[in-house]
Amino acid sequence: MKMKRGHKRLLVASVAAGALVASALPANAETGVSATEIKLGITLPMTGAAAPGYNKLPGAMQAYFDYVNSNGGVNGRKIKLVVKDDGYLPTLAVAKTNELILKDKVFAVVGALGTANNKAVARSVDLGRRGVPSLFINTGYSGFADSQKYPTTYPLFPSYIMEAKIMGQYIKDNFAGKKLGLIYQDDDFGTDAQAGFAAAGIKFDVSVPYASGSQSATTAAGWIGKLKAAGVEVAIMFGVTSATGAALATSAALAYKPQWILGSVGGDATTLKALGVPAAILAGAQGASFLPSPGDATDEYVKQFTDIYTKAVPGSAFDNNVLVGMNTAMLTVQALRAAGKNLTRASLMNAISSQGAKWASASFSPISYSASSHVGYSGYWFGTYNLSGVMLPAGGKYSIYTTDSGSGAISKSTYMRPAMPAKGLPNN
Amino acid sequence: MNTKLINKKLALLTAGVVAAAGLALVPTNASAAPVCATANYIETCGGVTSDGGKYATMVPANFNGTMFIYSHGYRPNQDLTFAGYTVSMITNNPAPAPMPGGATDKGVITYLLSNGYGIAGSAYKTQGWNAQEAVAADVELIKTFKEKYPNTKKVIAWGESLGGFITQALAEQHPELVSAAGIISPALGDVRAELQNAGDALWGLKTFFDPTIKGHGYSAGAAGDGEALLDLQKIIVVLTALKSAISTNVWPDSSGPAGKALAAIPPRSALLLVGLMAGVPTKSAHFDSTTGPGSKNSAAYTSFATAGAPALAVLENIAESAKLAVLGTRDLEARTGGAFYDNTKTDYAARLADDLTTYNAALSGNTAIKGMLAFINPANPAAPRFKGDAAAMDKLAGFMKNTGKINVPTVSLHGTADPSVPAGNTQWLADQYAPQWEAAKAAAVAKAAATGKWVAAKPMFTPLWNNPPTSYTKFFSDGTPDASGAPVTGTNHYNYTADQLNALAQILVNATKNGNVQADATFRALGRKAGGIVDSSFRAPLLAFYQK
Repeated sequence: MKMKRGHKRLLVASVAAGALVASALPANAETGVSATEIKLGITLPMTGAAAPGYNKLPGAMQAYFDYVNSNGGVNGRKIKLVVKDDGYLPTLAVAKTNELILKDKVFAVVGALGTANNKAVARSVDLGRRGVPSLFINTGYSGFADSQKYPTTYPLFPSYIMEAKIMGQYIKDNFAGKKLGLIYQDDDFGTDAQAGFAAAGIKFDVSVPYASGSQSATTAAGWIGKLKAAGVEVAIMFGVTSATGAALATSAALAYKPQWILGSVGGDATTLKALGVPAAILAGAQGASFLPSPGDATDEYVKQFTDIYTKAVPGSAFDNNVLVGMNTAMLTVQALRAAGKNLTRASLMNAISSQGAKWASASFSPISYSASSHVGYSGYWFGTYNLSGVMLPAGGKYSIYTTDSGSGAISKSTYMRPAMPAKGLPNN
Repeated sequence: MNTKLINKKLALLTAGVVAAAGLALVPTNASAAPVCATANYIETCGGVTSDGGKYATMVPANFNGTMFIYSHGYRPNQDLTFAGYTVSMITNNPAPAPMPGGATDKGVITYLLSNGYGIAGSAYKTQGWNAQEAVAADVELIKTFKEKYPNTKKVIAWGESLGGFITQALAEQHPELVSAAGIISPALGDVRAELQNAGDALWGLKTFFDPTIKGHGYSAGAAGDGEALLDLQKIIVVLTALKSAISTNVWPDSSGPAGKALAAIPPRSALLLVGLMAGVPTKSAHFDSTTGPGSKNSAAYTSFATAGAPALAVLENIAESAKLAVLGTRDLEARTGGAFYDNTKTDYAARLADDLTTYNAALSGNTAIKGMLAFINPANPAAPRFKGDAAAMDKLAGFMKNTGKINVPTVSLHGTADPSVPAGNTQWLADQYAPQWEAAKAAAVAKAAATGKWVAAKPMFTPLWNNPPTSYTKFFSDGTPDASGAPVTGTNHYNYTADQLNALAQILVNATKNGNVQADATFRALGRKAGGIVDSSFRAPLLAFYQK
């Protein structure tokens, strides 16, 4: 009798396994992973109003992946990055992500850009139900840290709430009593910013929202007119790079010279100059960043990444977007390595949760990944742009301040980032 | 946007063009023997079911024993009289098979007959939402057909739109009569789901753009018919005005309080909001919501793709579906005895939460969104909600529903940008079937454990999703959009060719042989020919009625 029952259990188990095999991929295979290749995908604006600057991200990522590939790849597999242009349109991001998953059959999405786009993708493509990882997304919307709602999404940037909180404290410390104005994108990006500034106790004398995609020289004239009319002395720009460029260029054209403070999203100097922002108005502007200044040749990460990038993409300036892209790529390589030879989507996400907080990264901010947290970075430093467009840290050294997306305090960080791995090749 | 679009809708409306078989048959007394004639080896019969509804059958000399019974889609149930003019809307011709291109499109009929299949279809006694009598008529027609053609071995039921509901109900209630079912752009589940979408759209148009639109609570008899026709005319006028307003940002003169309160917000954003409230797709026959004119890096491209295109898509889709919304409401109010639509407790802000992010830019940002949502707040006297009649609501709640039980191999073919009968209908059925499929798989495991022989479960329901391409909007050389071409696949309602439906017919024939609708290579290949793909990971948004 006992033998029969055991036999039955064995049969049930083998039948169940058979059913799985019958309806799934061949044993030990994972979508987007072959013996020789790991296929990743990214959606972002390569064209359109929001594209300037961000369209350098995939090239930077691919430069780093190519470098790793030429040094043996990850467990013998080369990394391939499939790039899809979403024009910064959420509906197109959904379609393109579906293409990545269904047609290109990528293993994971990496570095997808935009708050609205990532939200639309998470909902309509239903990454969580499909079990498709979306790693190190290019947005700081605080909601993505909700691992219940976005179980396969891993934010990397500090949240916009964190940024605004820390920036708010910086404003209180350095510009107390000044008339304050805010230009912000009128969506979740801006909602986070407003929440952060409010948490820091900052009240603006004038706030100017703009609808995403509406930025232009014409609309910027309206923004600047409002700031100028209100006599704003310190103007905070919390928008994408093209909107920041439009605001600064218009400010220069109207000879309006407040103290500009730029959010990290729109603060890439190379792109701003390419958009026609005069060096004179950028010089003296202040900004926030969680990565070292891309013009800081003394930083070991900047130095190594610059070396790899300039060889891979000669003639292309190494800027903040390139730094973000290469840093994202290096974290991705570490995640793939940590997931092991039998690479699966589940093992990848487990690796991030269990080991991600320890990986080498260019940021001076700690990473907070754990089994219960999808929070990436949490800190910023402040600096001032010089005439060359290099943002130099206030006081001559990087002072990092960290906080959370809630009511937590802002504190000076003592975190010491891991050293850049030898030759820029992860050894985790 | 090409003005031909709106004109075309108006022409369709006033001409009363509704799918009609147009077969020359001679009706007889109720339940009397059908009148038949044979020509070109095909016997064509016309008869009347016991309730007085006309039917038609066509059977080739080489009948192979399988017959297709077709349930046609929604046809208006009232002629519309206004200002002394009567627009004939009622069509009572039987349709033995789909004629997707209109009464002259015999592509499906020819295909089925030339391959030895018999076909049959009823006109049903009345039109409008006639599901109850339609199922009974189909049952009677199958019996009549089998009596006349005793070598009938298999019956394939299929139907489009309302006919999809009828087909599903027939398969649920009489699986002994049906071997396989094909539902094309089907309305499924509870009729209130469709009517809620319609009501939301009509209330939204009234509230934002023309407070004189009635939208519900039509009077009894001819007076109500006139009110419905007048509503349709007003909607066409509003949509025509909005077409211009999309570029001028000036609210239509008819807008009333909303136009004044929300003047700083582009009316295109309010139009899009209405569409999202009512579950209207943001891809339409000619507008993909992703493409602009000229260079991708130009401001015009970004502006059109981001802000203009979603509103234009909603406009085109509402123009496409307004007739069904108004006439369906009118018909069911007549059947229930009063106004059944009630949005006094609808929380549109909660319903739209995710859409407000996805379409934030097209809705002109959070500040504009807050302004529009504040305007439609139930507390705003300038935006009164519709209050339904309790008795009518109760009566409607008691109308026949699909249970979602799959008894026979069933395939649904649905355009994912269908504005009239959204793809969420098929998603509803897929969700109903999911536990049945899980149980079937578990039963297969249990059976194998008991017998030692493994036989995998085979699916009895598979949706074929008919997706529009990602980008398809066309532009004239001056950058204005060209809406003159044929509707793109996956858009509009029941937008299929005879060849596509013939591929579906082949799938259904195979299903009767296999006893299932497993998506093997043959199934997938035929599915692609029919315009659909198998994608088990795709989910269409459920209609608001079904959302929790």
